[in-house]
Amino acid sequence: MKKGLLIILIAIMVIVTVGLWYSNITKPTEPTDIAMIGIIVLIVGFALFMAYTRIKSAKAGLKHEDELSKKIMQKTASISFYVSLYWWLFLGYYSDKIELESHTIIGIGIAGMAVLFAGFWFYFNYRGRFND
Amino acid sequence: MTNRIKELRARYMLTQEDLAKKVGVRRETIVFLEKGKYNPSLKLAYDVSKALNSKIDEVFLFEE
Repeated sequence: MKKGLLIILIAIMVIVTVGLWYSNITKPTEPTDIAMIGIIVLIVGFALFMAYTRIKSAKAGLKHEDELSKKIMQKTASISFYVSLYWWLFLGYYSDKIELESHTIIGIGIAGMAVLFAGFWFYFNYRGRFND
Repeated sequence: MTNRIKELRARYMLTQEDLAKKVGVRRETIVFLEKGKYNPSLKLAYDVSKALNSKIDEVFLFEE
């Protein structure tokens, strides 16, 4: 329960920070800015979903973590790391061809890693099949 | 590996949630076990069997 509330608190802080950043932008909003905000909203949404499931489990008197959830997290983390390497290689290759600032490329890289992680987590959590 | 968790759960009139609470795991773990999508560790297999008042080889059926 405490961890769920902590996740919600961090998500709120991220939303407030992004809101403050966006309100201080003086230059016109570019499509990349909107894309970054959209990805941040997705990531925060994922975190809030995780917090909700934690709190729901705690209220039902059920455990939130067990051997299967830890196995899913380990598999998600390892596959995400492996795929992220190729993601950064792809970004590195196309950063010469696309005119983007370095901090934008870094932001895209990090956002991509977060999306990969969330995507793989959903895939493994709902697919199962850990009979390797 | 197949199992008789659903059959034994029905015999003792336990829901998936009841069994998950007894064993100390998430309800989703019981769902995956029943569907055969997850092979449990020895400890989990033992805990599930104990919760269903059965022996491990009566709950989990190994096929060669």
